[in-house]
Amino acid sequence: MRTGALITVARKNRAAKGSAARLSLITICVLAALAAAGCSGEKKTETAASKPEEKAAPAVTKIDPATAATVTGKVKLDGKRPAKKSINMSEEAECRRLHKGAVYEESVVAGADGGLAYAFVYVKSGLEGKTFEAAKEPVKIDQRGCTFQPRVLGIRVGQTLSVSNSDPVSHNIHPMPKDNREWNQQQPPQAPGLEREFARPEVMIPVKCNVHAWMRSYIGVVDHPYFAVTGEQGVFELKGLPPGEYTIEAWQEKYGTLEQKVTLAASASQAIEFKFKGE
Amino acid sequence: MRTIILSAALMAAAIFTSCSTKKPEYPAAEATPKPLGAVVEIKAPLGLPPVPVPAGNPPTAETIALGRKLFYDKRISVDATISCASCHDPKFGFADAKQFSDGVGGKKGGRNAPTVINSAYSTLQFWDGRAPSLEKQAEGPMGNPVEMAHNAPDVEKKLSADPVYRAEFDKAFGPGPITYEKASMAMASFERTVLSGNSPFDRYLYGGDKKALSAGAIRGLAVFRDAKKGNCAVCHSVGEKDALFTDNKFHNLGAGMDAKGELTDLGRFAVTNQEADRGAFRTSMLRDIAQTAPYMHDGSLKTLKDVVDFYVGGGNSNPNRDKEIKSLDHLTKQERADLVTFLESLTGELPSNVGPVQ
Ligand code: HEC
Ligand code: HEC
Ligand SMILES: [Cu+2]
Repeated sequence: MRTGALITVARKNRAAKGSAARLSLITICVLAALAAAGCSGEKKTETAASKPEEKAAPAVTKIDPATAATVTGKVKLDGKRPAKKSINMSEEAECRRLHKGAVYEESVVAGADGGLAYAFVYVKSGLEGKTFEAAKEPVKIDQRGCTFQPRVLGIRVGQTLSVSNSDPVSHNIHPMPKDNREWNQQQPPQAPGLEREFARPEVMIPVKCNVHAWMRSYIGVVDHPYFAVTGEQGVFELKGLPPGEYTIEAWQEKYGTLEQKVTLAASASQAIEFKFKGE
Repeated sequence: MRTIILSAALMAAAIFTSCSTKKPEYPAAEATPKPLGAVVEIKAPLGLPPVPVPAGNPPTAETIALGRKLFYDKRISVDATISCASCHDPKFGFADAKQFSDGVGGKKGGRNAPTVINSAYSTLQFWDGRAPSLEKQAEGPMGNPVEMAHNAPDVEKKLSADPVYRAEFDKAFGPGPITYEKASMAMASFERTVLSGNSPFDRYLYGGDKKALSAGAIRGLAVFRDAKKGNCAVCHSVGEKDALFTDNKFHNLGAGMDAKGELTDLGRFAVTNQEADRGAFRTSMLRDIAQTAPYMHDGSLKTLKDVVDFYVGGGNSNPNRDKEIKSLDHLTKQERADLVTFLESLTGELPSNVGPVQ
C-alpha cells in the first residue's frame, strides 16, 4: 500500500519539523485532503497513548458452588391494572409502518395472574466488600420498531452495553443518569453499533431517544451479578449467592421500589414475593 | 491508481496550501505570474454577495477558460484517469456521491468531498479550514521548491508537452514556461465562477417572488431562522440581502463518532491546537445541498432527513459540543418535514459554462 507508506513517512516528517530531508508538505497535505488522516490522526495517537494504564482488578471473591444459595420469586401487581395505552407513532410515518396493529406502552405489563413484567430485582445490600468476575458478554439494547428492546435491562459496572438500530430511521439514544456520565448519540439507519459502559452502580437510569418522544428504556447498573428482569409471569431467580443476609429490592418504573430482607443458609433456595399496589 | 490520485490531488494541493499554518518562504527571484487579459467581473447570482477576488489573481476570460479545462482534464493525473471533477462532479453538485472519495474508500478518518460550489466565499478552505484562502492556497506550496519537489515538475512537463496547453497558458499569463502556480491560479479563477444562487429560496426572499417557494418550504424557512425552533441560522447565516448559509466559523456538533463515543477526527484542532476547536468543522454552505449527499465531514448521514434528525437529537454529546446544539425534540413532525423541504429549495442555478468543455 503506497499511500499508507507515504502517510507514515509524512507523519514522521511532521514530528521532525524542519528536517532537511522532509518530504514535500504538499504530499502531506494531499494525503490529509484525501485521507484526512495526516492532520488529525497523529493527535489521536497521542491521546490514546497518554491514557492512564488500567488498574489491576482486585482479587475475585470465591463462591463455593456447594453452599451457594438461590432466591426465587415473583413480582406481582395487587389491584387494578391500568388500561392499556397505545403509543401514537404518527409523528414518524416510517415507525408507524413498522407495526401492523396498535403498539402499546409498556410501563405496566402484567400477566393474567398479576405477574408483573419488566421489574428489576437485584441484591441491594449484603455483598459489600466482595468482588466478582467481570462479565464478558455485552448486554444488548436494540432500537427496533421505534421502541427500545428490551424495555428494562440490567448490566454490570464496566460491562459493555451494545446499542444497535434495526430501524429504517435515525434514533438518538440518550441515557439520563444521576451518578454516571450523561451522553447521547445518533444512529442513522444501518449505522454501526455503539459500545458503551457505565462506571458506577445506578438503579435505574432512564433512557430516552431524543428524536422520538415515546421511546423509553431503563437500565439498572449494579456491581455484582445478582440481578434479574422479570418476564411476562413476573418470575425472577437470583442464583449462586454466598450464604448470608441480603436486602433484595424490586424496582418497577410506575410503582417504584419494594425491598425485603432475606437470610440465606448454605445451599438454601428461598422464595419471596413482591406485591406492588395498583390503583 | 494511488499515484494518479496523488498527482490529481497534488494539483488540488497547489490550490490549497498545506497543513502547516506557517507562511511559505519564497525565493526572492521568483516572479509571481500575472493574468494578462482583460479582467472580467464575475457576476454573483441573486442571493449571493459580490464575489471576493484577490488582487494578485484577477479573473480573466483566458484564465477562467484554462482553469475550467484543467479542472476536467484527466491528463493531469499520472495515468489519465482522475480529474478534479472525479471527486467534484457537477452531476453531484460538484461533490461526489460517496462517503469517502475513491482512493480513500474504507479508510478510517476519511473525509467526505465537499462541493466546490460557492467556495469563492469561504474565508478558509477545507472542512478544518487548514488552507487560509483561495489566493493563499495558490501562493502556498508554489514558490517553494522544496515543497514542490516531488510531483509538480511532472505535471508541468506533461502539460508543457501539449501545444494547445502551451498556447493557452501563453494567452492567459503571457509567454513563459507552464508552471504549477499558473495552473492553480487558473483553476482558482475558474472555481470562483462555480456559483449557485437564484434558487427558489433566493427568488422568494431576495427576488420578491412570493410564489417561488412552496408553503412547506416557507414554513421550513421560518423554522430554520427562528432561534426558538430550528435555530439553524445562528450558524448557517441568512442575511438581509444575501445568504451564504455559513458564518465561516468552526463548530463541534459531535458528527463523526466511533462506537465508544470518541471523535474520529479532531477537525480544526489539528490546525490550531486550540482545545475549543477539538472536533470542530467549518459550517457548511448548504447551497445545492439536496445534490451533495451524503452529509457531514465524514459523510455519515445519507439523507437530509437523517441530518434533520441529527439536529433534533442534539447531535452527539462530547465535551466540546457547541452550546447552540441542543435537542430540538420540541419540533413537530410537520416542522421537521418542513425543514427538509426548505433545504431542498436551496438548489439553485449554476452558470451554463462551468461544466466540462465539450
Ligand atoms: C480523490 C478525490 C479528490 C480529488 C481528485 C480532488 N479533490 Fe478536492 N477535495 C476532496 C476532499 C476529500 C476534500 C476535503 C478535504 C478536507 O477538508 O480535509 C476536498 C476539498 C476541496 C476544496 C475545498 C472545499 C471546501 O469547501 O473547503 C476545493 C475547493 C477542492 N477540493 C478543489 C479541488 C480541485 C481544484 C481539484 C483538482 C485539482 C481537486 N479538488 C481534486 C477530494 C478530491
Ligand atoms: C452550531 C452551529 C450550527 C447550527 C446551529 C446548525 N448547523 Fe448545520 N452545520 C454546522 C456545521 C459546523 C456543519 C458541518 C459539520 C460536520 O461536518 O461535522 C453543518 C452541516 C450541516 C449540513 C450538512 C452539510 C454537508 O454539506 O454535509 C446540513 C444539511 C445542515 N448543517 C443543516 C442544518 C440545519 C437544518 C440546522 C438547524 C436544525 C443546522 N444545520 C444547525 C453548523 C451548525
Ligand atoms: Cu428514536
